[in-house]
Amino acid sequence: MSKSLKWLFALMLAMLLVLAACGNNTAGDDDQKKDDPKTETEDPKDDEKEDEEEPVEDDGLYSIDDFATSKTNEGEAIEGGSLTFGLVSDTVFEGTLNYNFYSGAPDAEVIAWFDESMLYTDGNFTFTNEGPAEFTTEPYETDEYPNGVTFTFKIKDNVNWHDGEPVKAEDWAFSFEVIGHPDYTGVRYGPDFSNIVGMEEYNAGEADTISGIEIVDEKTLKITYKESQPSLLTGGVWSYAMPKHIFKDIPVAEMQESDAVRKNPIGMGPFKVKSITPGESVVYEKFADYWRGEPNLDEVVLKVVSPSTVVQALQTGEVDMVDSFPVDQFVDNADMSNVEWLGITDLAYTYIGFKLGHWDAEAKKVVMDPDKKMADVNLRRAMWYAVDNNAVGEKFYNGLRWQANSLIIPPFKDYHNADVEAPTYNPDEAKKLLDEAGYVDVDGDGIREDKNGEELVINFASMSGGDVAEPLAQYYIQSWAAVGLKVELIDGRLLEFNAFYDRVGQNGEDDPNIDIYQGAWSTGTDVNPYGLYGPDQMFNFPRYESEKSSELLAAGNSPEAFDVAYRQEVYKEWQELMVEDIPVFPTLYRAVLIPVNNRVLNYAIDYGSTMGRHELAVTQEEPFKHE
Amino acid sequence: MEANVEVKAKEVIKSPSGFSVVWRELIKDKLALISLIFLIGVTAFVYGTAIFLDQEEIVKVDLFSIYEPPGEEFILGTDYGGRDVFGQLIIGTRNSLSIAILVTLMTGIIGIIYGLVSGYFGGHIDNIMMRILDFFLILPFTMIVIAFVAIVPKYSVWTFSLIMTAFLWMGIARLVRSKALAEKELDYIQAARTLGTSNFKVVFKHLLPNVSSIIIVNMTINLAGNIGLESGLSFLGFGFPESTPSLGTLLSYARNPQTLEFRWWIWVPASLMILLLMLAVNNVGTALRRAVDARQRRG
Amino acid sequence: MWKFSVRRILIMIPQLFVLSLLIFVLAKMMPGDALSGQIDPNIDPARIEELRIEMGWYDPWHEQYARWVGGVMQGDFGMSFRFKMPVTELIGQRIVNSFWLSVATLILTYLIAIPLGITSGRYNDTFRDQLITGYSYVGFATPLFIFALVMLWVFGFQLQWFPTSGSVEPGMEPGTFDYFMSKFYHLLLPALSMALITTFNTILYLRNEIIDTKQKDFILLARSKGASESRVYNQHIFRNSLLPIAAFFGFEITGLIGGSIFIENIFGYPGMGQLLIESISLRDFSVVTATTLLFGIASILGALISDIILSLVDPRIRIK
Repeated sequence: MSKSLKWLFALMLAMLLVLAACGNNTAGDDDQKKDDPKTETEDPKDDEKEDEEEPVEDDGLYSIDDFATSKTNEGEAIEGGSLTFGLVSDTVFEGTLNYNFYSGAPDAEVIAWFDESMLYTDGNFTFTNEGPAEFTTEPYETDEYPNGVTFTFKIKDNVNWHDGEPVKAEDWAFSFEVIGHPDYTGVRYGPDFSNIVGMEEYNAGEADTISGIEIVDEKTLKITYKESQPSLLTGGVWSYAMPKHIFKDIPVAEMQESDAVRKNPIGMGPFKVKSITPGESVVYEKFADYWRGEPNLDEVVLKVVSPSTVVQALQTGEVDMVDSFPVDQFVDNADMSNVEWLGITDLAYTYIGFKLGHWDAEAKKVVMDPDKKMADVNLRRAMWYAVDNNAVGEKFYNGLRWQANSLIIPPFKDYHNADVEAPTYNPDEAKKLLDEAGYVDVDGDGIREDKNGEELVINFASMSGGDVAEPLAQYYIQSWAAVGLKVELIDGRLLEFNAFYDRVGQNGEDDPNIDIYQGAWSTGTDVNPYGLYGPDQMFNFPRYESEKSSELLAAGNSPEAFDVAYRQEVYKEWQELMVEDIPVFPTLYRAVLIPVNNRVLNYAIDYGSTMGRHELAVTQEEPFKHE
Repeated sequence: MEANVEVKAKEVIKSPSGFSVVWRELIKDKLALISLIFLIGVTAFVYGTAIFLDQEEIVKVDLFSIYEPPGEEFILGTDYGGRDVFGQLIIGTRNSLSIAILVTLMTGIIGIIYGLVSGYFGGHIDNIMMRILDFFLILPFTMIVIAFVAIVPKYSVWTFSLIMTAFLWMGIARLVRSKALAEKELDYIQAARTLGTSNFKVVFKHLLPNVSSIIIVNMTINLAGNIGLESGLSFLGFGFPESTPSLGTLLSYARNPQTLEFRWWIWVPASLMILLLMLAVNNVGTALRRAVDARQRRG
Repeated sequence: MWKFSVRRILIMIPQLFVLSLLIFVLAKMMPGDALSGQIDPNIDPARIEELRIEMGWYDPWHEQYARWVGGVMQGDFGMSFRFKMPVTELIGQRIVNSFWLSVATLILTYLIAIPLGITSGRYNDTFRDQLITGYSYVGFATPLFIFALVMLWVFGFQLQWFPTSGSVEPGMEPGTFDYFMSKFYHLLLPALSMALITTFNTILYLRNEIIDTKQKDFILLARSKGASESRVYNQHIFRNSLLPIAAFFGFEITGLIGGSIFIENIFGYPGMGQLLIESISLRDFSVVTATTLLFGIASILGALISDIILSLVDPRIRIK
């Protein structure tokens, strides 16, 4: 037996050695990395950035300003070539490959390669005339709808579906007919559609046609909206057509599951679908008749890459680029030699919300409740002062998430108020506010009691799933404890996303035990925050309303607000009001990082970029590999 | 694991009792002895120090010491929340051991009673009880545990162990039943029965002691299997919250490829701990099995 | 024996019925539904509510259950809400992958286990034996997912011998030889990872069987009659020990189902295990119920096969 004992020990020892060796190597790598994290991001830059880069040295911190938004082109493009695009996802893509029916974000990425919007947008997310269709507007004034507007769209001549059929006005009108149809199975129908004259009657099954939509001729479409709003120009008009000649014989209720959506979808984009391996990958080939010109690449392969293997896939050139790189893995891979890192501010923010009321399902609006634990604005402000989001951004996210100050995010360049005076980390101020507001520690246990001297325990709901979700939530709890507030995770753990949204109130049944929560919003391209903070909005999770806020929100989307200066003024005021009232406070803005293989040319990620995917090219047949 | 349990059980033929035999066998088998000492040492250490360790302090997030490699301040470095891995390892080992022991004991008790009753009474009772057991066998373990985790509001070592127990008692129940079936035909049971001893007494005074040795062996081996039990669920993201460290939560940090590749100190110690604990328990179990199985005995 | 099998299959029906009921109730108790994830300012919550009503998710659970059972009776497992396609079609896509992964794993398991088990049993308590048992104990003690992660890292990425995700190279034409080879190539590493870890059961079992048989009278008799050692092993012991192994084949299926959840997850291999976990998280309940039922049927059939083989091999186990 002693022999076998020796064997086991030897085995253990060997394992330890191997592991130790692993550790040593990688530790070495780490050190190296720290020495030259900058060289990579510096290269593509022009001189003007030079001085900004100083603070980034050595401390492992990055800033979104250090990233380019378009790929540096080095080398000559070759004729044709194939590019592999990685779709970073834990799950498969569902395969509902039509803009009118999809619901998952991965599907949108798949569709984007073969279909496109009829209207392009600029850097302010406003529709332009650069896309497959041009538009003009004219006021529409009747007694019923004094503030209406009529859009006239003209589809450009050379825009064709992949099967050679021209894209016609009826194709676009058909999208509205399908989405508005009583049998429609998707999620797209909403206020953007019911705002069309005659849409509600059609949706209720009372009318066979939508009176506000008129096909003028083969290439001209007129749509009349009841209310003219600036939001119409930032995504409020449904801009995706569907090929009527293919879908016309399929009953609306069955379209979503039809082969035209799932197996052989067609679009008008630069690439057409060649083959689909359900959930895993799609192969596209170029669509030579693309209206903006023949694409450079012969073929594009899209495949799902798990976030846990994406680094290796990039290093080995298995994928040339991805839709979005898991930012928490960037620091360890900043020196990847075969890619260039592009980065941009994401259309999203993280925030802490305070429950100030409940949802009245009858009246379909929020009702504030002055007895709520968080009803005192000074308590809310103190909690804002108590957290150091700067440190959170730097330490947890290496600067790739950073302190937020306003609920209108920086990418909305015209409207984001960078100067709004939001509280920043100041625990003394927090304590002072609490003392003044009457939240004092009466029994001497180091924890503040509420105004009546009774125990105050604030229940905090936070979602699991993100990479540092748990330490982040714990950090906030600790920060609040440091100013004397007792905050506890509800149920003592993070909530899984279904449970989280259920209890925060996605169907109006808020869990009354939740006092505060940490959430995140992806804003979409419309600056208008009404959908999240309007008094009759289900997604107004803090259940906050005030006359002032409602007024400003309404003004911000009124016909007058087509005047940018006016709208800026309104939203500036609203952002200030939110810092005053604090129904929620924004914590972090975030970066999207996209690594692109050095062989790829003509790729840009900035909002409103006119660079199309048909311009993509490669400089050599095989991707570069990381050395 | 189920099949394993059956396998081990099959070879146990006859059970001369007496702890002296067990002891002799343990002394003979140096590996088992060392394993036993290791086990006792680790258990004493983690339960001992866990009294002095402040769990809250250990799971406290520290922004300024994130991903510290092992060094003077942190023997095993820190994780992505700046939390001391060594402290988590101790508390984690304790939690994982507690779960393993709890689950083993509870499955043991349920399994023994179920198996004895089913085997002793036989006939229709046996038939019905076995069909119920079969039903538990086909239950989709993962799905139901995940559902429970979502439904149960508070999630602790206790609730977790209870949930696990509900799905793991069948192996030992089957084993005890088959033993009981064989044993009850033997003269001494028949004699006791004809003498009018109550069923309860027969089962627990006569039958149980005679099947106890295989039960002990089997439970030891189950214990080994149960140590890594919660790690799989943690890996899938349905384990304990990080504020309740376990070996599984530490291990599941390896899901992050950067941790797997660059920060071995977070997950390797926990992996080794699981490996060593399982091996040690298994070695003791093997020795025990030899002790109760005359043919394999070494002296 | 036919009677036995038929009876077992008949018992299966109420079992599956109770199982489906249980799953259904549990699923309904879980917070959220398939639309919970649609928290998007661009999607109208009123439309979501409308869909919930249309889908009948607000009906009492027993009505929903009755509707579901009614569908199943006609072979209709409903629609996957997430994939917008019939569950049967969806599972049809996935089950093929899972099936081949399981077959490959089983084959590899036996390829590893049989020679090792025999060697270990024949030369028990020698160095060889200790090496092999040492390996199987380590296999027993190593969590499958850690091992799989390391395998993926070493062979998939560092050495790049195997593909690292998916079940087939993009763009392959189904039915061609290349397609088949690509499929095979993709499942090799996952299957190997699983086989290397789960094989310990079979090795130890085989080893113990052989040690047991070695001492049986008929072997001793054969030896005393002067049969050569290799003849004794090949003709008598091996055959006698192998049959019970075959009997455990059925039980392996249950183990495979459990393991496949991890393996498919790690290797990004779209099979049933991955489908189940995703469907639970995203509350695609029609898929969850159907998948679970299939797993249930698979384990019952596995147990049945095992019992039948066992009864053929070992007449002592009477089938009543």
